[in-house]
Amino acid sequence: MSETAVASVTVKKMLDFAIDGVAMQAEDGQTVIQAARANGVNIPHFCWHPQLSVPGNCRICMVEIEQESGDPWFDIACNMPVTAGMHVLTNTEMIKTLRQDTMQFITLNHPVDCGICNKSGECMLQDYHYELNGAASRSRDPKTHATKFFPLSDRIMLDNERCIMCTLCVRFTNEVSGSKALGAVNRGDHALIRPAEDADFNLDVYSDNVIDLCPVGALLSTELLDHARVWYLESTRSVCPGCERGCSIDVWHRKHEWRLSALDPQMNTRIDRVTPHENPEVNGLWVCNKARDLAHLFERPRAEQAMQRGVAADLAVAMTTAAQLIGTARKPVAIVSSWGSNEELSAFHAAFGAKVPGFVKADHLPIAGEIIEDHLLIKPDKNPNRKAALALYPALPERVSDARSDALPADTDLVLVWGEGFDSALIPAGAKVIRLNSYAHADNAGADVFIPISVQTERSGHYTNFAGVVTAFTACFPVKPSIAHAEAVFAALAAGLTAELSA
Amino acid sequence: MTGLVQRLIPEFEVWKRRYPAGFEGSLSIPALRRIQEERGYIADEDIADLTAYLGVPRTQIDEVVAFYTQFTRKPLGTHHIQVCHNVSCSMRGAEGLVKHLSARLGIKPGETTTDGQFTLTTVECLASCGTAPMMMVGDAFFENLTPATVDALLTELTGSA
Amino acid sequence: MSTVATELSGTKFFMNFPVTDTSHTLAEYRTRFGYQALEKALREMSPTDVTKEVAAAGLLGHGGAAFPAGRKWGVVKLGDGEPHYVCMNADEGEPGTFKDRWLMECVPHMALEGLIIGSYALQGRHAFIYIRGEFDLAYRRMAEAIEEAYAAGLLGENILGTEYSLDVVLYRGAGSYVCGEASAMLASLEGKKGWPRNRPPRLTVKGLYQKPTVVNNVETLANVPVILRLGAVEFKKVGTPKSPGTQMISISGHIAKPGVYEVEYGYSWTKFIYEDCGGMQNGKALKCIIPGGVSTKILNASEIEGVTLDHNSAVAAGSQLGSGGMMAVAEGTCMVRLAQVIQRFYHHESCGQCTPCREGMGWMERILNRIVAGGGRPEDIDRLYQISQANDGTTICSLGDSAGYACSAIMDHYREEFEYYITHKRSMYDGNLTVEDPFASALVGVAS
Repeated sequence: MSETAVASVTVKKMLDFAIDGVAMQAEDGQTVIQAARANGVNIPHFCWHPQLSVPGNCRICMVEIEQESGDPWFDIACNMPVTAGMHVLTNTEMIKTLRQDTMQFITLNHPVDCGICNKSGECMLQDYHYELNGAASRSRDPKTHATKFFPLSDRIMLDNERCIMCTLCVRFTNEVSGSKALGAVNRGDHALIRPAEDADFNLDVYSDNVIDLCPVGALLSTELLDHARVWYLESTRSVCPGCERGCSIDVWHRKHEWRLSALDPQMNTRIDRVTPHENPEVNGLWVCNKARDLAHLFERPRAEQAMQRGVAADLAVAMTTAAQLIGTARKPVAIVSSWGSNEELSAFHAAFGAKVPGFVKADHLPIAGEIIEDHLLIKPDKNPNRKAALALYPALPERVSDARSDALPADTDLVLVWGEGFDSALIPAGAKVIRLNSYAHADNAGADVFIPISVQTERSGHYTNFAGVVTAFTACFPVKPSIAHAEAVFAALAAGLTAELSA
Repeated sequence: MTGLVQRLIPEFEVWKRRYPAGFEGSLSIPALRRIQEERGYIADEDIADLTAYLGVPRTQIDEVVAFYTQFTRKPLGTHHIQVCHNVSCSMRGAEGLVKHLSARLGIKPGETTTDGQFTLTTVECLASCGTAPMMMVGDAFFENLTPATVDALLTELTGSA
Repeated sequence: MSTVATELSGTKFFMNFPVTDTSHTLAEYRTRFGYQALEKALREMSPTDVTKEVAAAGLLGHGGAAFPAGRKWGVVKLGDGEPHYVCMNADEGEPGTFKDRWLMECVPHMALEGLIIGSYALQGRHAFIYIRGEFDLAYRRMAEAIEEAYAAGLLGENILGTEYSLDVVLYRGAGSYVCGEASAMLASLEGKKGWPRNRPPRLTVKGLYQKPTVVNNVETLANVPVILRLGAVEFKKVGTPKSPGTQMISISGHIAKPGVYEVEYGYSWTKFIYEDCGGMQNGKALKCIIPGGVSTKILNASEIEGVTLDHNSAVAAGSQLGSGGMMAVAEGTCMVRLAQVIQRFYHHESCGQCTPCREGMGWMERILNRIVAGGGRPEDIDRLYQISQANDGTTICSLGDSAGYACSAIMDHYREEFEYYITHKRSMYDGNLTVEDPFASALVGVAS
């Protein structure tokens, strides 16, 4: 922003008001719940969301406004504009009673099947019950029933009995993802959330955000149903590698103290779920479903064993052989991974630098049917760090036809392939091949030297997204001893390079 | 009756002329009524076609059809008998009227006779409290009912089917 | 449609001519000062003049809330560059109310003229009449009236040769009581499900398609040509100072002469019930009155003694005139069963949006059903009160509150019947709801 632009920024009008006797300020136009939140005061709410329209239907955010006449006035805080001098009371006896009444109503026909509900442990209904109700139901009549397992889409299961009709899911599809795939049919206590009948919701690539939004256990991931209790899990902040936006995510996995040796070891090192991590600069509050499915991506069969022409080898032995090959090559070429972290790329460049010409490849291309780009988050490049790689090396030329391309000079005698997505057919005849890959692949055994390398969840680092924003990811799983960290091995591999080689 | 909405579009276009610009979505309810007038109920294809014509989200039409009691997704009997059972009507014999009709037709409220002639439902206040007990059959009101007038009406309707 | 003879004393604005098969037409309306008020408005008055006159007349809304119509109109800013919409609320779903039906069947042009004048006052280019889907004759007569008006240059481009143009849409609902609530009505007019909206913003600021909108009841608008023709001063001579004009009352239930009546505000309630409406069927004693639709609190026979039919008196007596849908309940009626019927209605009509009403209506009905079925428990009465209290002022619209008021008032007056039913597992009055039941034979052998 230039200096001249500063002068045109409007100063927001501030209003003085108070919550529970504490003086504070609100921006003119804010509602009580918005101003409260901005001042660090949380007013209980189910249906309100800072980035969605205000339906004012749950009624739990009631507050009392002190009046000079003495008669109390109460209303929902989410739709109440702050006025100058307003005295808001959030904890009077009346408000406590109203909240308890609202909780009684919300749980009236709620199945309270926490014992078998996935949301248990992170459920607002549970939390508010303890905080605001704390009493058994006053009803002595049987609860009404509704559909327990309704497939809202192939990915999301809806339990209508648990649903409190807050409409967060409906508003999300109307206002954020734009699929407008959800609605509320029928009247009264027969009202049900339902998808548009032409099954649009399967096409909404942001569908799973409603699972996070749902304050209760009504919307659950079908795949992760009964997968893990949330209190055994913790999250580590990471970056989604699905495209060049690099959305901030939380990768959920077992807490350290719950990584029991008695369990299947795979359970201790698996991604239990992925949720968005709020990042106003990059993805806001949301991620697309590709991020949700990262477990599938990361947990493809791994390459765990170093090899020399398909024969298992000791990692150190393979490294030595690879270094020798590189050192004796006269026209080596490196194919640089667009999934390499900033740190790995720096190490690669520091090690091979100008001595070995490098080309950046796309490790992943869009798969058939995948959205290339959209209005919200999805970007065309399906690799997390191509921008940083291209800052150091040029891109691999596009193949003009299906025939072997002349992207690589015909006299190339060594190709160092780092990462996935490089077709062996592009390697000139007679060239030696060194491959560094995390994942099992038929081409791995065909390399002269194959070195298995770690994945993002096993190390820490940074990616640079399409807009130049740098975001960190942190390791959450241990790496097996037979697998190398690429960053650590580049220097060793390049040790044999002499200054005589020209670029 | 495929393409029903297509056939009705010229009528809808005439209605549009009295609405302000941008009010296309408002046509959903009148259009659905017109569709049901023709078909007797609202078919899945009607909802899809109407959604396309009006350019509104599909859920808007799904919600409207499910919200309003006068719309039905299933065919009803030839004669839809709707008996008011609200306060004033109950005070002047609505409950007996319902029982009488059930006995005559052999069905309970919510059901349709096996020959498809009559569907019987109970409904809320039809703003005819002064002439209770009463009922609607199709669009028409039948008021100040007695067993004799009800029986005569049923005979007439059965004959006319 | 029963139309009772106009022997009731007092000034009449509407029920002052013999109703025939043609008295509703434009030609005959013209013989009763028809559209003279519109001429006066368009030719001699500015839009603000019209609003001022309506405000000066003290016209109160006739849909149930009795909000001053002139004040509502006055909120809309003329010349703000926004379209303004006047919507006639002809949804008439409040149980016991059928006076708007009479107006639309018998004097549709009065309501239409009022709508046109109101639109002129608010500089609207389009106006809407939202009529409940179940109305048949009322709909056809209103539709005819609109076409007659277009043909006569009273609607459309350049009305009466002036610069003012107006199109009117007659919009049929499809079966939903809650669509009588102004914001739900507008949602319905937008072609959506009838979910009411929170205020702020008020509809006069953001209403139909988020534009300034005024919603008025049929009878309210029908008063407008009367006000303009007589002038505010003359109008105020009718009725009482705080409730000027007349009230259309539709009376039903156990009353001997049910139907639509027009009373001058200030009329004696007991005279109306016992003389004009003939008291109860079969000479029974009056047990209680539901004054203005089920959403108003009942008053027993002694509570209406000395009370006049006007807004302040009704409030002072502990209720409201509401929508003018009066229901008379005779001695020997089981109030528990009556409460059950009323609550079944609210449950059926709840839109489902907000927590207290969505859950509370069904809860109340289930409790009452259980009591009626002989399974009542001592705590049920308190529970019903609690649910009513929890719906008081806590909901998006007043459906929840109304259900609470209705049930609480019945229990306040007739708690002993509820206690009896719970204790003895049967009604004090054999579950009886009728005085004269033409279908009594159908109920023989049926347990109440």
